[in-house]
This record gives sequence, structure tokens and C-alpha cells, in this order.
Amino acid sequence: MSTSTATGSRRRRHGAVSPWAPYLFVAPFVVLFLLFLVAPIAVAFVNSLFSRQSSGLGFGGSSIEFVGLANFVRAFADRDFLIGFPRVLLYGAVQVPVMMAIAAFFALLFDTALVKGRRFFQFTVFLPYAVPSVIAALLWGFLYQPSVSPVLQFFESVGITLSPLASTVVLWSIANVALWSLVGINMIILFSALQSVPREMYEAARIDGAGEVRTALQIKLPMIAPAVLLTTLSSIIGTLQLFNEPQVLQTITSNIPSDYTPNMAIYATSTLGKDPHLASAMAVILGLATLVVSLLVLAANKRTTNRAGHGL
Amino acid sequence: MLAGAVAVAGIAACSPEEGAGPSDEPVEIEFWGWVPGLEDLVAQWNEENPDVQVAFHRMTGDDGQKVEAAVDAGAGPDLVQLSTHNLPDYVIAERVQDITDYVADDESNYTPASWASVSFDGRVFGVPQGIGPAATMYRHDIFAEHGIEFPTTWTEYLDAARALQEADEDLYIANLSPSEMGQWLQEIQQAESSWYGIADDAWTVGVDDEGSQLVAERWQTLLDEGLVTTEPMWTPEYWSLVNDGTIASITYAAWFPSILAENASGLAGQWSIAPMPTNDGSTNGGDSGGAAVVVLANAEQPAAAAEFASWLNGSDDTQEALITVGGLFPSTQNGLASPALLQENEFYGGQVINEVFIEAAENTPATWVEGPNYGFIQTTILDEFARVVNGDQTFAEALDVTQEAAIADLENRGLEVAAP
Repeated sequence: MSTSTATGSRRRRHGAVSPWAPYLFVAPFVVLFLLFLVAPIAVAFVNSLFSRQSSGLGFGGSSIEFVGLANFVRAFADRDFLIGFPRVLLYGAVQVPVMMAIAAFFALLFDTALVKGRRFFQFTVFLPYAVPSVIAALLWGFLYQPSVSPVLQFFESVGITLSPLASTVVLWSIANVALWSLVGINMIILFSALQSVPREMYEAARIDGAGEVRTALQIKLPMIAPAVLLTTLSSIIGTLQLFNEPQVLQTITSNIPSDYTPNMAIYATSTLGKDPHLASAMAVILGLATLVVSLLVLAANKRTTNRAGHGL
Repeated sequence: MLAGAVAVAGIAACSPEEGAGPSDEPVEIEFWGWVPGLEDLVAQWNEENPDVQVAFHRMTGDDGQKVEAAVDAGAGPDLVQLSTHNLPDYVIAERVQDITDYVADDESNYTPASWASVSFDGRVFGVPQGIGPAATMYRHDIFAEHGIEFPTTWTEYLDAARALQEADEDLYIANLSPSEMGQWLQEIQQAESSWYGIADDAWTVGVDDEGSQLVAERWQTLLDEGLVTTEPMWTPEYWSLVNDGTIASITYAAWFPSILAENASGLAGQWSIAPMPTNDGSTNGGDSGGAAVVVLANAEQPAAAAEFASWLNGSDDTQEALITVGGLFPSTQNGLASPALLQENEFYGGQVINEVFIEAAENTPATWVEGPNYGFIQTTILDEFARVVNGDQTFAEALDVTQEAAIADLENRGLEVAAP
């Protein structure tokens, strides 16, 4: 210890940086990353290789036994669990583009000089994000139930019967809740990105005769491509993890089964079905699927961003 | 150890020295439960027993699942209230302690069925706290308006349902909730079905047994003929069906009448309670399940904890409060004998409603057996019922799917399964 301190202070005297300094700076991140991301994944993976086994009637106690990949085999044999994946992907394929389009629309709108009372409207669009998703789902749950929803009652009175909880549309009713909640934060991220675009670009565009719309589509959007990438990526990961909204809405409709999304299936298996080891295997599968999808989106975006970069 | 001393001391005759253990510090017990009014009973106990101090936490939401996680992690409260349906899982996973030595003397004060629900392999794992005999709450004004007698058998019930529909197309005899386990359980228990059985040293699974098939057929008729609404219970939509008179009756357990009175206060005096309709040729009642207070695995003072549980559920001092404030239907002999049970109920037009539930409890067959993976079966069967209500399959098919999945799940746990 004393030697290293001595070495460190001598170096500092010579104007050199301690070799430990960078590690010190990244340490908080690394520690939290290991503790709250890597460790849980490792624990889940280890758990997934075991199973609680009893014998006879089971009252003689039980033991945790190594079962290899048996839990993974069971998870892959569970049709209802597997169907959850294409379901959330379909959901994501619709919800994420719609959300990004609306977020980008608002961000570009607020970035123009045309909008009056910009701060107020920005705040209004952002406000739903401040509502926790469980509360948001509860609120929308009321609006989705015909006898307590003023909205549905209004439509009913003009002869239009809407049933947002019907089995054919309930997925989009869930998407609507998420959309309402998340447009705001994505709008803010894109809007902030727009603020960092050099203003000279717009001047140059104006001098070249580009209008507001053309500037927005051909200058601003390409310039904030990295921010769009970030928000798209996190949104897609978000849809794979879909849980809060359908779990809450499940209590008011029979059209959302307990294994409607992969995350709900994991929850049901672990807490209701009391099989945390099988649930761990399912969680590892979901984690890998999320990783694969994230990498695909990342690769696709890299190519388009590069192309956009060359085009400028 | 002090265990033997306390067991001998029994319920009331415990002197401070015996309960306090080796040191002079009072024993501290953490207790989680959900029955209304437990705070007052705990305060009463703490006053009378300075040597065993109980801290109470009111359970809400998913606290039951928190308990499991906490116990498995080596922590958690000492005592918890638990549905007896979940008890076998707790025993197999070793989340509860065997308290036979502390509470064996209490047996004579409990109904045989409730004591059986906490006993496995000759050992006792909890103190029963209330049961759920079923009866039917119905709108006597609606039935009278259409000149229909409230049915006494399920066959008459179907006729009454058709008659109500004929009289008014917006009037249904009941709501068939695909998400409410208890309403299914009480009817299949009435039909002498049981999800589990024990044959030699193996479990049998009876999710699709004869009794369940009988109820499935009836529910299918109600559904196919459009005689019932199918909202999930407890939702705002459900209570609006109750309050606007769309549904004319609700069949549920003895703890439900007070909840109905609370949520449909505008309909006071328009409800009566009748025995749940019976199957032809039978006088059986049904029960949706009871609760118990159990000593969890990590409790360091199981004797003191069991002593409190024994007092709470079985003492003469607590019966009235549990019945009137807690809304429990007693599983104790002294509770069943309590005058508090036979009070007139204003909401039900001055009817002594518990007379109906007492009769139901007496007529409930002792055929139901609690078993492992109850949570798994419940989750599976409710998902399948939802698909039935959506018209994707029949109740009979839902039972077959669940039966198969339940057996596979038991086998995956290494348990022995025999053909029923």
C-alpha cells in the first residue's frame, strides 16, 4: 500500500495522472452494473439449471437438484409462453413507429418558431410520462369499461359501440396506454437533440430556399438520427419487456390471459405457479431474445446512419 | 427447551414465566394478516401478555407473494394468514413449521373439516381461521316483480334464469366471472369434486372429475343460452351490473354479504339470502375455502407464535370480534355457538343471514382434499375459462387441458401421481 501511494504521489509531482484515476471514475458504474445487471443474470442462469424436487406426496421435504437444461426444454415446449414473443413483436412493430412518428412530429413542431406557448404545450405532452405506468393503466382501464367510461358512453349515445377490451383489439388498447405515457419522454429526447444542431445549418438551408417542412425533414431529422436510434432501441426493448399495462388491465378483462406477454408468463410461473426455476429459464430466454433484437436494431441503424452521414 | 412448557400451558393458562423464555426481554412476534379489526385484537393481546409482544402488519395487494420470497430468502414475518388452498405448497417447500406440539389440544374446538385442512401426514401446520360456506344473495324485489320463486335446485335455477331473460332481455340471473376461482370451487365441492386425492403414497388429480363435469355442463348452458353476464368480478363494470339491477343474484361465501352491502349500499333492503341451489337428489352445500394462521419457517420463537395464533383464532375472548368486525365465518365450535353470529342484518331486510351459512357449512361434504400446485392449477384453469367465455372452447375442454397440465406440473416437481 505505502509503496503504491508513494509511486502515485511521485507521479503526480511529475505532472502525470495516477493510473488508477480512470478506474476510480468508472467504478460507480461498474459496481452498480455488476451488482444490479450482471449478478442477477448470473443468478437467474444458475437457478435455471436447478429444480426443486420432492418425492411421494412431498411432505418429506424437498431438495434443489441439478437438472441441466430441462427447464429450457419445458419453456420451449410451452406454446402459450412462446406465442407471447410474436405478440409483443407485433405490438412493438406497430407501437414503436407510431410513437416515434408522433414524438418526432411534436419535437419538430416545438422546434419551429411558429408555435406559441411552446413551454406550456411541451409540458402538456410530457405530463403523462410523470404518471406511473400502473396508474396510467388503471386510469385507462376506467375509460375502457363501458358502464363507467364517459368516452364510451358518449360514443354509445351517438350510436357507435366501442369495446376496447374485446379480444381482437385489446392489444392495441394496451399500446394506446403505452403511447400516451411514452410519447412525452421521446419527444423531449428528440427535442433536446434538435437544440444541439448548429443553428447555421438552418440559416444555410433558408438561404438555399428550403421551407420549414423541408428543413425539418431533410436537415433536422438526419441530424438527430443518433437520438432517434437511442429512443427506438430503448422503446423496442421496452415492448419486449411489456408487463405493467397488460398486467393491470388483466384484472378488468378476461381477454388478457396470465401468460399474455413473456414477462407476464415469467411472473405467473414464478409467483402463481410457484416454480422460480422454470421462471428463471424463461427469463434467460427473454433476456437473450432482447439482446438479439437490440443487436439487430443497432446494426440496422448503424447502416442507415452511415448512409445518412455520407449523404450530407 | 421452552417448547414443551408452553404446549402444556395451552391456551389461557400460560403464566408469564413460561411464555417469556430464558431471558427477561419480551418475545417479539411479527404477524401479517388481512382480516378487518386484527389491530384491536393484537392490542388486546399485547396488553394482557407483556412477555410476548406482537407487531401487526396489514396485508394488501401482493403481500402474500412477498411473504414467500422473504421466507425463501431466510427472512419474513413469524406468523402469517394464509389461504388453506396454498398450505400444502408451503409445507412441501418447508416454508411453515410443524406446530403439532403446541396446538394439538385445540383440535376439539375446531370443525373437523377445518382441522383437516391444516393437517398433513398426521402433523398440524396451522390454526384454522374461518371458512367460506356458500349461499345465494338475490334481489327479492326483482324475483317478486316477475313472479318467480327463488330456485332451490340448479334445474329450477336454469328455468328461473330463462324466465328472467324472457321477462327482460337486459336482466340476467347472475354474472359468471371467468376469473373468480371461489365461485367455481364452491360449486364443484358441492358436487363432491376434489382437485386432489391421495391414493397410497401418490397424488391423484381430479380437475376433470365427475363433479366438475357436472358443473361445467351447467355453466356451459348458462353461457350458451346467454343467461349470464361474463364480467370479471370486482371491477367497476361488475359493481355497476350489480347496482343497476342487471344481475339478480350472486352466489358466494359467508364473507361476501358484508362486501356486497358496502358496494351496493343503495340497494339496502332489496336483497335476501337463500341456500345455494342444490344438485338434483342431493342436499349438499359448498365452500370456497378457508384460511389459517401459520408459523413461518424462520420464526425463532415458534412456541410463542403458535400460542398467539391459538388465542387469536380459538379464544372465547376473540370470537365476537372476529365475527362482527372481521366478517369471518367461524371454524371454531365456540365461534359457531357465539350469539354474535345470529344477529339480524339490516341490509338484508333484518334477515339473520348466518342461519343460511350455518346450514351450508353443515351440509358441505368432506370430500375436498387440499394438495400441492394449487396456484398452478388456479392460474391455468382461469386462463382456460377466459378462453371459454370468449367462445374459443367449452368448459369441458378447459377442464381437460388443465387436468393434463396439472399432472405434468406435479411430475415435474418429482411428486408421485397416480390415476384417479
